[in-house]
Amino acid sequence: MRPINFEEFKEKIFVLAKEKGVEVQISYSKSRNFQVRYQNGEMDQYTDAGKFRINVQVLKDGKIGMSYTETLDNPEKVFIDAYENISIVDTEDIEYFYDGKGTYPNIEPYNGAFETLSVKERLNYVEIAHRKVREDERIINDMAVYGDQMSESKIVNTLGLDVSFVSGGGFMYAMAVAKDVSPRSAFEFAIGKKPEEINPTHVGERAKDEAITLIGSKSVKSGKYRVILRNDVFSDILGMLVSMINADNAHKNLSPLKGKIGEKIASEKFTVKDLPIHNLSIVATPFDSQGVPTKEKVIIENGVFKTFLHNLKTAKKDNVEPTGNAYGTSIAPINLYVEPGEKNFEELLETLDNGIVIIEVEGMHSGANPISGNFSLGAKGLKVENGKIVHGVEQITISGNFLEIMHKIEEVGNDLRGFIGMNGMIVPSVLISELDIAGNA
Amino acid sequence: MLDRFDKVFVEEILGTVLKYGGDFAEVFVEDRFSTNISLKNGKVENAQTGRMFGIGIRGFLGDKAIYAYTNDLSKESVLTVAKRVGEALGEVKLSGTSFDLRKKELNNRHFILLKPEEVRKDIKVGYMKRAYEAAKNYSSLIAQVVVNYWDYNQNVLIANSEGVYVTDNRVRTRLMINAVAMKDGQMESGFYGPGAAMGFEFLDKIDVEQAGIRAARIAARMVDAEPAPAGKMTVVISNEFGGVIFHEAVGHALEASSVARGMSVFAGKLGQQVAAECVSAVDDATIPNAWGSANVDDEGTPTQRIVLIEKGILKGYMIDKLGSRRMGMPSTGSGRRQDYTFAPTSRMSNTFILPGDYHPEEIIASVDYGLYAKTMGGGSVNPATGEFNFAVNEGYLIEKGKITRPVKGATLIGKGYEIIQKIEMVGNDVARGQGMCGSYSGSIPADVGQPTIKVREIIVGGRNK
Repeated sequence: MRPINFEEFKEKIFVLAKEKGVEVQISYSKSRNFQVRYQNGEMDQYTDAGKFRINVQVLKDGKIGMSYTETLDNPEKVFIDAYENISIVDTEDIEYFYDGKGTYPNIEPYNGAFETLSVKERLNYVEIAHRKVREDERIINDMAVYGDQMSESKIVNTLGLDVSFVSGGGFMYAMAVAKDVSPRSAFEFAIGKKPEEINPTHVGERAKDEAITLIGSKSVKSGKYRVILRNDVFSDILGMLVSMINADNAHKNLSPLKGKIGEKIASEKFTVKDLPIHNLSIVATPFDSQGVPTKEKVIIENGVFKTFLHNLKTAKKDNVEPTGNAYGTSIAPINLYVEPGEKNFEELLETLDNGIVIIEVEGMHSGANPISGNFSLGAKGLKVENGKIVHGVEQITISGNFLEIMHKIEEVGNDLRGFIGMNGMIVPSVLISELDIAGNA
Repeated sequence: MLDRFDKVFVEEILGTVLKYGGDFAEVFVEDRFSTNISLKNGKVENAQTGRMFGIGIRGFLGDKAIYAYTNDLSKESVLTVAKRVGEALGEVKLSGTSFDLRKKELNNRHFILLKPEEVRKDIKVGYMKRAYEAAKNYSSLIAQVVVNYWDYNQNVLIANSEGVYVTDNRVRTRLMINAVAMKDGQMESGFYGPGAAMGFEFLDKIDVEQAGIRAARIAARMVDAEPAPAGKMTVVISNEFGGVIFHEAVGHALEASSVARGMSVFAGKLGQQVAAECVSAVDDATIPNAWGSANVDDEGTPTQRIVLIEKGILKGYMIDKLGSRRMGMPSTGSGRRQDYTFAPTSRMSNTFILPGDYHPEEIIASVDYGLYAKTMGGGSVNPATGEFNFAVNEGYLIEKGKITRPVKGATLIGKGYEIIQKIEMVGNDVARGQGMCGSYSGSIPADVGQPTIKVREIIVGGRNK
């Protein structure tokens, strides 16, 4: 059998769709990944790879059947599998394809800046971070990871949609473990669209300094505390919002924000947007996974809930415009952005006066329930007395309800930072007036 | 479709890695068919089938490893990738190493009666709907039920320059039920997700209605619960999925990936007393048709039952090939990976605490005040510090030796090496539960398990009065 290329694969499937009298959409993605991990200065893992994947969706009478493949061998089977999957779909929801006629935001594709780096230059990132971390003799273990990736995506359908985009960037992180009665670990990372945006010295230094700061950590008495959720921790917690603002979840009774548009759901200092691009994020896209143009939108404005995020199906159901947030079969923001406040981190500490800065949470995937909003998470922190950090805090949990703490946001910091979650996030630190903490002391 | 990787071609790939720099080469070819069906509100919303097909090539030089994968499977592309792996290992070594691939016939322990692709999808949906109905009708508090069904049929070919050339077939089937209860505007959810290394016969082996009811029961009980108390207390952890505590608190720190470079708190402690004397635990990938079982691991090494802890003494680690080189100890058949896009590393399979002497009722009766963790959620651990956390999805208060009232939102935290010293009683009701374990080599099926156990004290993250 003669190998075929994507264009021929697509043509075959379009012909089959026409024969069956159905619409079809093909999403093609091709990615290249590089990643290297060092433990204690020794190479532990090194991966350099690439792959492609094709997703086929067949639309008939408002129902979609899906199939994917990683070989171009057999377009007929891929089409028939997707077509046959329609027969078991019995939801009353009506699905649509997009014709590509809208206006797409002008977003510069990734220029492949990391592709030109040599292997040596890539290894240099982890080696520099490792050496920096080890400058202090109290560090007994360390790990450093560097990676970059580039991904091309293309969506075509029989309604005339034909869009493509290239995304990518690089990242690194370092973990340092300091010697103490029990070991103290800290973590630091960097992301960028250009190699010079990633500073391995800085990453290594911050991981080392924080691990050292945590030496002598103690637990605290159980009780209610004033806390700062540092930007990295707040980005984790804010991840709970992603599922709550998904219109499909609201329709299916899986979101506590159902029916709350126009209501005040958070402190008036709190404004959240979704952005197709932001200079602190490496995520950017002019269209969502259904090919619908992306756009900026306000989700929470001064504490008032403004909109759910939609794909084509949920938008039609609610009789609103799609928001360009389709994410596979789900819905997600592109860059969840929190409008910064006035105070820098030092000023937040002064405003906190006495309390705890939460610097790490563990267990988001198990201890946080976006349906109820309840969370209970393992945490680490820094005890603050009279606006000054006095010692590390270990072996505590923070517990609460996401929607309750949104009302208790007393201050929003100006220390915006970009993170990678499901997509991108750009988030500052926040001061919460009261949070339940369980401890050991 | 694995036929195109005959011995001659595989030898050429392995030889290419060795020629350009490696002292060990490995090939992992995967052809996998999967089905995912999602049912919300009793209606099928998504139905997807798909095929993954690709090759992972790995080379070692000493204890350095390089991994690459591709799904462009033309001969030219595959050999280019092999060459890149060899070159990345550095030294150009043109002497070449000779080896003979020996096809190994597997002694299959995991018989499949009904291959997933031989069962019509509407029949699969029928079982999902039965689970849905049972959950939905359990209580008027149940506001939503989501049922997901997942199966796959994975064919692998694993070969290496030590002469291994083996093919294996792994079939897995899982049903996942998420029920949501609502009362006075409060929502709570309950989950149950049984699975096995079996074909569709698995859904006849379990009672799908009971599976639905179990998820609904958790949601309905918890929506009526008050917040769990906060602080240090005695905790009784129920059998089956309760074993996630051992998995997180100890298991991950016994994987070569953290032991070999000295990152684990358990590194260098073989033969030492690390747990209370009532604790013995194993990792056993040989259990027929268990969720985390396989005939050979993803490096082609036969799997085995590994004694990890015996009467509190550390007896073994879970070791993959790279870990074996770094530690100077043989592989335990623990090299696993999500799929060909991940280099394998040491992972757990079916890991559980062995049964002790007590009836579960005796254990609860011995507690004056504490938490009964009946259904555990997932958790995570930092192997470098031993700090773990995990969620209690269904909890009750124990007062004066009796289970009194439901409590929600509890998380347990601690340090693994401390917690296993504090296990005071081990029950006789050992059972296993299914989960997906995420780590360096991706997300893989793993069983956790234990009998009911009592831990003297754990920090419970709850709410303060």
